[in-house]
Amino acid sequence: MLKKNQRAVVEGIIKCPSRAGEKPHLLGNRCSSCGKVFFPKRVICPDCFTDDTLTEFELSSKGKIYTYTIVHYPSPVGVEVPYAYGYVDLPESNIRVFSLFTESDPEKLEIGMNVQLVLDKIGTDEDGTEIVGYKFKPV
Amino acid sequence: MIGVGMTEFGRHPERSLTDMGREACWRALKDAGIHPKQIQAGFSGNSLAPYLQREVDIGQPILREVGIVGIPILNISNACASGSCAFREAWLAVASGLYELVIAVGTEKAFVGKGAMLDIGSQDFQLMQGGVFPGDFALKARRHMLEFGTTKEQLAKISVKNHKNGCLNAYSQFKKEFTVEEVLNSPMVADPLTVLSCCPNSDGSAATIIASKDLAKRYCEKPIRIAASALRSGTYEPNRNLALFDLDFEASKIAYEISGYDPQDIDVAEVHDAFTIAEIMHYEGLGFCKLGEGGRLIDEGETEIGGRIPVNPSGGLLSRGHPVGATGLAQIAEIVWQLRGETGKRQVENARIGLAHVVGGGREGDVGAGTIHILARD
Repeated sequence: MLKKNQRAVVEGIIKCPSRAGEKPHLLGNRCSSCGKVFFPKRVICPDCFTDDTLTEFELSSKGKIYTYTIVHYPSPVGVEVPYAYGYVDLPESNIRVFSLFTESDPEKLEIGMNVQLVLDKIGTDEDGTEIVGYKFKPV
Repeated sequence: MIGVGMTEFGRHPERSLTDMGREACWRALKDAGIHPKQIQAGFSGNSLAPYLQREVDIGQPILREVGIVGIPILNISNACASGSCAFREAWLAVASGLYELVIAVGTEKAFVGKGAMLDIGSQDFQLMQGGVFPGDFALKARRHMLEFGTTKEQLAKISVKNHKNGCLNAYSQFKKEFTVEEVLNSPMVADPLTVLSCCPNSDGSAATIIASKDLAKRYCEKPIRIAASALRSGTYEPNRNLALFDLDFEASKIAYEISGYDPQDIDVAEVHDAFTIAEIMHYEGLGFCKLGEGGRLIDEGETEIGGRIPVNPSGGLLSRGHPVGATGLAQIAEIVWQLRGETGKRQVENARIGLAHVVGGGREGDVGAGTIHILARD
């Protein structure tokens, strides 16, 4: 659960552990008609053109780095540099997701590397609220 | 097309949007040799003024300065493709038979300070988490390097070529040559893209006058024909191959089909080199070489002025500069000048068919709006 002085970077995308030992998950949805997976969740399946076939589910928290970069200039949203982001393939969930990485050392990142989902602070709001996002960590 | 004009691109903190737009329109009207009162409709491209200058609907005040008032005027916003989309709408207006003489102008003040990134898209899922434009292209670069063996040196050569060309263009923001080493050793923005691998945010304006076929012949000895206009949006499919621009392949297929030309017929091209890797990927998407061979193309000098298919003789976005909503029309102006044989030291010999290509905006590694125009001197 998020604490009082914390907020998720985007509402409704993260399932936080509710007790010790549980792992965090990203929340996507899947169309029961065509099987397509969406992250972030969508309201309508654009292929089936239905709004009652999408069911929320927890995406696999294990993935492989599809591509990555390390940013050295401050991003407008204030993520501390250097930081790394890219795309992670989640083979068990049949989707590729955008993500920050825990590492920003080029020696510690590689395309194809196995990674695991973690939650981490990615910034602070003006009123001091901590922004909690998800990242993938090399395993 | 019977007239084009533009301002010098660069940093113009002292100039307003209206001031720059006026100059580009004035030059285009003078080039066409027509009176502003003859213009029947106007199309104005701009992307960032609502955010950066808190200005909206800048087309009317710009065109008013040259005496174009009282006619239909449309403001068009489509990210980096705002200018090329204004051009496309102007072409459609004439092609539809509704008007015979129209103007398209694109204007932008995008310079936000050295080394600063544009802060737009506060609701975008990726930008909210730290995604940045150079980073998104760096992600593509890594895939291209992995899949096709493209090297950092090949990426740097794009910047070297375009800065060299920019030195020959009076309108260019940068008139300075760089070596491969200087490009590679400039500060890292988003690995593997360095500062000199990224285009600047610039100020400037460009305009063009389009006439019906009959009218064009009356006003102009050497009118340039618009042989094709193609516009596409991305698909944003999450599992797409990021080592290529699907949209380039789709849009160029349409443009080549409409025009009846093949990639081999193109004598000169202006392509959207916002980042070095982008130009290499666009070579492939536009059919100038096979998929994966973009690196070889720059290595062998085929896209240099004097090569088999010269790309960005103007200096491109990397050197001429990138005033977002003006870029598409600056490309069109360059192609027109090239086809007329008016570009001096950067002239592509006997250029008869030219291509202008823009990709704008985007999400999830895909393009927001992409345009391709093919122009011909008959």
